[in-house]
Amino acid sequence: MEIKKTGVAGTMESSDIIVRIEPKETEGVELALESAVMQQYGKQIEKVIRETLDELGVTRAYVNAVDKGALDCTVAARTLAAAYRAAESTDYVWNGGKEK
Amino acid sequence: MSPGRETGNKMDFFVTPGVLLSDERLKKTEEFLARMGLKYEGGADHTVQLLSEYGEILGNGCLCGNVLKYIAVDERLQGEGAAVTLVSELVSEAYRRGITRLFLFTKAENEMLFRGVGFYTIASTQDVCFMENSRGGIDRWLASMEKQKGVVGACVMNCNPFTKGHRYLIETAAKLVDHLEVFVVSEDRSAFPFADRIEMVRRGTADIPNVLVRPSGDYMISHATFPTYFMKDRADADSVNAALDLTVFAQKIAPALNITKRFVGTEPYCSVTRNYNEIMKKLLPAYGIEVVEIERLGGISASRVREALADRDTKTVDELVPESSLPFILKRGQDA
Repeated sequence: MEIKKTGVAGTMESSDIIVRIEPKETEGVELALESAVMQQYGKQIEKVIRETLDELGVTRAYVNAVDKGALDCTVAARTLAAAYRAAESTDYVWNGGKEK
Repeated sequence: MSPGRETGNKMDFFVTPGVLLSDERLKKTEEFLARMGLKYEGGADHTVQLLSEYGEILGNGCLCGNVLKYIAVDERLQGEGAAVTLVSELVSEAYRRGITRLFLFTKAENEMLFRGVGFYTIASTQDVCFMENSRGGIDRWLASMEKQKGVVGACVMNCNPFTKGHRYLIETAAKLVDHLEVFVVSEDRSAFPFADRIEMVRRGTADIPNVLVRPSGDYMISHATFPTYFMKDRADADSVNAALDLTVFAQKIAPALNITKRFVGTEPYCSVTRNYNEIMKKLLPAYGIEVVEIERLGGISASRVREALADRDTKTVDELVPESSLPFILKRGQDA
């Protein structure tokens, strides 16, 4: 999946995360994460974001995320939505979470 | 804004986005901001307020272009929650409008609070902290420009329009360095649009091989680096702004581009520019950047060109600007 423009999903409300994905010219995903629970869950949140992008085949992107205590499923959902928006894609298949 | 380190009884508040700042509401907002040590100077595209159940203003924040401004929260709303709610609303609105690169400046003590909502420090002075919503955003911008070798000088100019005086300054400065970076102010708030101004500079200096003309971008003399509302007293505000702008230049831009000289023309007319140049002379040498002031070519200024244009005095215009600027000036004359 190619990131064409800036895509955003989520909010800064409690239990949510806001993810912003931007185009990057060079290979690699550069992630900047701020979290209210950085000490405890920072690594886990980063892992979920990176895995979600990996599954989509996003290899070039700047990702900015501000987490306010989101659960993993929320982190994945917000990352997915931001990536689809950033790729200007509407190919998402709504089949109960097992997208492909 | 109250940094909210203490915990206390929270007051109830209602988040009210899209407040129209007119008449009575504007007056109340100005009063609230004044109480919080901020001066409202207009420019709000979208305003979010926190209101008590009686409609009293407890918090305010505005989106002005790509800058979050006038952010303040009443001391009674202790805790970070209220401030985060305000900023979150403003950021969401900016994104809805398709504005994704955001800036803000705040008192140094609030740096951590804004870090928590995804803002990262570009540069800070004693008074003000300048932040953006991308980690390393300025570094990416700097990395996009090639670093020149040898002695590199820089000047930042508006060129509204490009005159023989600008040409003289660039020509003189270029002789004193191996490479001269000319940054043309990108902010489109001048009589001549940015696209025309930079093109005038490019054409007017095309014959000087060691001159590089670039847009100044978001980080030099922009809407974002030059906040004027911040301090109560205007004269002081200008100094704070100048210091912030020059600190970004000294801490970030100059080292990344190997710049060791900054050139300015002497400024007999405009007090804001003169003040800016004075602060430059105090601030930049501490970072190892020499400030070189070049005597202005007698009586030439962009404002005189604009005056002559307004008077349809083409003879004076011809005297003040190089031929390469004329098509752009004539074009604007027809538009006007």
